[in-house]
Amino acid sequence: MTRNRSVPIFIAILAAFALGVTVMSEAYGTGAISVSFTKVLGMTLCLCLAALAMDLVWGYCGILSLGHFAFFGLGGYGIGMWLMTARTEAVVRANLANQVIPPTEAEVSDATALQIFSVVGGEDWPWMWAASDSLFLSLVLIVLVPGLLALVFGWLAFRSRVTGVYLSILTQAMTLALSLYLFQNDTGLRGNNGLSGLQNIPGAEAIGQDRISIWFFWASAAALGLTYIGAAWLVSGKFGNIVRGIRDDEQRVRFLGYKVEAYKLFVFTLTGMICGIAGALYYPQAGIINPDEIAPIASIYLAVWVAIGGRGRLYGAVIGAAVVSLLSTYFTGGRAPDINLGLFAIEWVDWWPVLLGLGFVLVTLFAPKGLGGLVDYFVRKDRT
Amino acid sequence: MQHLLRIAIIVAISLFLTPAAQAQDLSLQDILQDHAEQIADPSRRTVGETLDALVATGHPDLPGFLTRWQSREAYQRDADGFFVYVEDEDADPLVLLDISTGEAIGTAGSREITQLRPNGGVRRVIGGALVQFQLGADDPAIRLEALDAIADDPEESYLPLVEARLEAEEDPAIRARLEVVLPGLIIAFAEDDQTRVDAIRTLDGNVSLDARATLNRILSTRRGVAEALPEEANIAAILEPGSPALSRDDAYDMLVQSDLAPPLISRAEQRDVLAANIVDGRVGGVPVATLNSEEARDTAYAALVDADLAEPIPTSAEVDAALAAHTFFDAYSEPSAAVTRAARTTLDSIESRVGVYRFLDLSLDGISLASIYFLAAIGLAITFGVMGVINMAHGEFIMIGAYTGYVVQTLIADYTLSIAVALPLAFLVTFALGVLMERSVIRWLYHRPLETLLATFGISIALQQIIRQIFGTQARPFTPPDWLAGAVTVNDVISISSIRIAIFILGVIFFVLLWLILNRTRLGLEVRAVTQNPAMAASMGINPDRINMMTFGLGSGIAGVAGVAIGLFAQVTPDMGANYIVQSFMTVVVGGVGNIFGTLIGAGMIGSLQKAIEWLNPTNTLAAQTYMILFVILFIQFRPRGIIALRGRAAGD
Repeated sequence: MTRNRSVPIFIAILAAFALGVTVMSEAYGTGAISVSFTKVLGMTLCLCLAALAMDLVWGYCGILSLGHFAFFGLGGYGIGMWLMTARTEAVVRANLANQVIPPTEAEVSDATALQIFSVVGGEDWPWMWAASDSLFLSLVLIVLVPGLLALVFGWLAFRSRVTGVYLSILTQAMTLALSLYLFQNDTGLRGNNGLSGLQNIPGAEAIGQDRISIWFFWASAAALGLTYIGAAWLVSGKFGNIVRGIRDDEQRVRFLGYKVEAYKLFVFTLTGMICGIAGALYYPQAGIINPDEIAPIASIYLAVWVAIGGRGRLYGAVIGAAVVSLLSTYFTGGRAPDINLGLFAIEWVDWWPVLLGLGFVLVTLFAPKGLGGLVDYFVRKDRT
Repeated sequence: MQHLLRIAIIVAISLFLTPAAQAQDLSLQDILQDHAEQIADPSRRTVGETLDALVATGHPDLPGFLTRWQSREAYQRDADGFFVYVEDEDADPLVLLDISTGEAIGTAGSREITQLRPNGGVRRVIGGALVQFQLGADDPAIRLEALDAIADDPEESYLPLVEARLEAEEDPAIRARLEVVLPGLIIAFAEDDQTRVDAIRTLDGNVSLDARATLNRILSTRRGVAEALPEEANIAAILEPGSPALSRDDAYDMLVQSDLAPPLISRAEQRDVLAANIVDGRVGGVPVATLNSEEARDTAYAALVDADLAEPIPTSAEVDAALAAHTFFDAYSEPSAAVTRAARTTLDSIESRVGVYRFLDLSLDGISLASIYFLAAIGLAITFGVMGVINMAHGEFIMIGAYTGYVVQTLIADYTLSIAVALPLAFLVTFALGVLMERSVIRWLYHRPLETLLATFGISIALQQIIRQIFGTQARPFTPPDWLAGAVTVNDVISISSIRIAIFILGVIFFVLLWLILNRTRLGLEVRAVTQNPAMAASMGINPDRINMMTFGLGSGIAGVAGVAIGLFAQVTPDMGANYIVQSFMTVVVGGVGNIFGTLIGAGMIGSLQKAIEWLNPTNTLAAQTYMILFVILFIQFRPRGIIALRGRAAGD
């Protein structure tokens, strides 16, 4: 088992970064980094986590899934249901406390449901909210539901040997179907309103967003670090060799006697679960989730981040996701100075997508190894 | 009744014979003067004869006068008894108008003329006489209007008029309307049931909305409850509480509404009663603070009932007994069972025919949706299906085609001409873009198909944003010419918009054209050769670079032309292409990569399937799309290579 030299470096950089942000945060440090920017950084770490999963499934196993953001979204919906239920119930209880006669549990539950679903004309709890009153069950489902969807979908797809481009299109269809399903008002997840107010953590009303934001940042960093260690361990052993073999020549590995489908299914399901966790950490920081989030384009972006960062090297995915999403936030946030060329002013908000798109083309054409390829210039690798 | 029959006969005759010669000679004023007394002070009983006499003259100005008379806008000059109209009722002095020519013939103070004020009964008789004029009018639109008025507000007096009209009518559209209006009148007013049943039978096979509405009106029911079934009522159905048609709660509500049972009390009402009876922090001896469970509230409420402070709640046994003791039923408002039975069988037979037509209509919808999918996907069938290039910017080529149409329309005012220009222009624009893209990006990536996906995705978002920069985010109008804007209507069930027919025809043309190009031309032969084995093709003297460029350009150009067609009915926005990209890929994959026949079948399957799902759940197109995609995902499990799978060497791998 070869040790992955990037692990200690990565963990060190991540820890230094987390420490730096903490020291500059409003809650525990100088306040140089605002609460909203702390949230942006924490969300970026979650996207890096999803990109890491994408690198495992695409960069190592060769499955270009264009549907992994569906798992990300499912994780977000999972935690969102609990956050929304618990938060709304607390508000409802406070309102009903003024009544002459104390409310029964059924009354609280009915009033909560009315509060949540009146926006889509409902007043009953849909079946998928059954676990939403228990934090523990919700946390379990955040992993189980994306995992189960990935398992069933992957089993169907790999069993019938759908590969390559076809699989990409099929996964894209899956995420499109899921987002269309969620867009309907009567399917129980509030249609295109989505779930909102997720930044309010139940039971933590007294604690300010400044501290909550940094806690979520820590949690995101910890999840990314742990997953990185786990992923590096996974791909370094025999398992990693087989998976890489499947990527390079699936038929040959199959003829060597390995159960290719089982390996692919394992990687696909595992990465689906990781994306679920990433989503569950992301959306309490974003505050809102709606079906638009899991439109096919989001999953394509995930693949593009990995491609820009460099496939099959774990840290590449993290670099790609961090660089592209932070640059996007910077340029589309209106903070970048516009360049005035006399007759014509370049407004970054408008021109950033064009540059980004052309950037994808250039990276694909001239730097197939991505940004990670730069690392190769400085570090001589023992093996390819 | 008698005079109306006479009017009808006279009208029927006067429609075909030239009006009596004398009427032409006499002015309307002269005729009216003969009946001046009756017109000035009509009564319900005598006005019929007067109208008969007036109508018998067949004077052309008469309908105008009757309208004014009926709406109390006609006046009589006190001095000489002349009938006049006035220009403006509020003017002083009033300007008098001649009843035939409408010209001003003098002025008068408001005291010098008397308004003709027929009472309600008289006005209705006048209305009847007017309807016969309208029914006999030369303009079909007026005749149709009169029929609409009759259908909206049927009266017995119209019956002979409509009957006479049906004999004479030659316009097929009005005849069809008459054939529904007449039975409607007979059903409503005929006295003996056999006549009404016969009238109902004449509606058999008539799928128009009017006919179905007429029958449904006969079959309207009212829900009732009683201890025993009322004998005189025409019962449609007896309902069992707890069945799908009538839930137990609804049944008990009906009992409560009819004062046949004591009301149940909801949890909220119970709470209000408890809140109203708090004494020293207790309700019925139970402390208020402990009333946070349903058991505690029930205990407290029972205590209140014992103390006569609240109504007792019926127990579930009492509810059961009350439900069992009563009969719930739907009764027709129409008393005659023979009539309702005839209406039911006729309506059933109409509905089954409507079902067949609906199916035809749905098939047409499915075909038209399929041709849209086919148009959107056929360019992809070449670039992806034949060349194996995953072009994520395909949707943007469609979008650019639509914008080309919009730009041409801003330059050329004539819509027909602008479309004729836009179609080839869109092809040229997207062909050039496709060639440019192939030369600069795609040819470097033929061995890395997954990376083509990323590069073309980059191009797609860049193109989208550039178009957004130029044209803005809001939808641009791209209007079809008038001859494409209408719809072809076969009957009240089957209709299809002309633009969808045009798209279908365009799809067929594309299919034939592409098939010919790929199978009957030198270019097609070379394309097939290069896609099967580029090295071998090159050694046979074919230039693969040139062929790849041409093929990709062809696929892109076709996407542009499809964009013009799609832009005619969809919104032209920068992100319209994104709506078609996933569907297009699915169409190609389902059909089977590598030939355009597969795309045709794939589009047909997906289109008709989506319509079929929409038919099962008509309120929700989103759900239909969701289930359609799920179906496609499952379908790929069983035929991973699509419906038409290439075999042997052509299949590659």
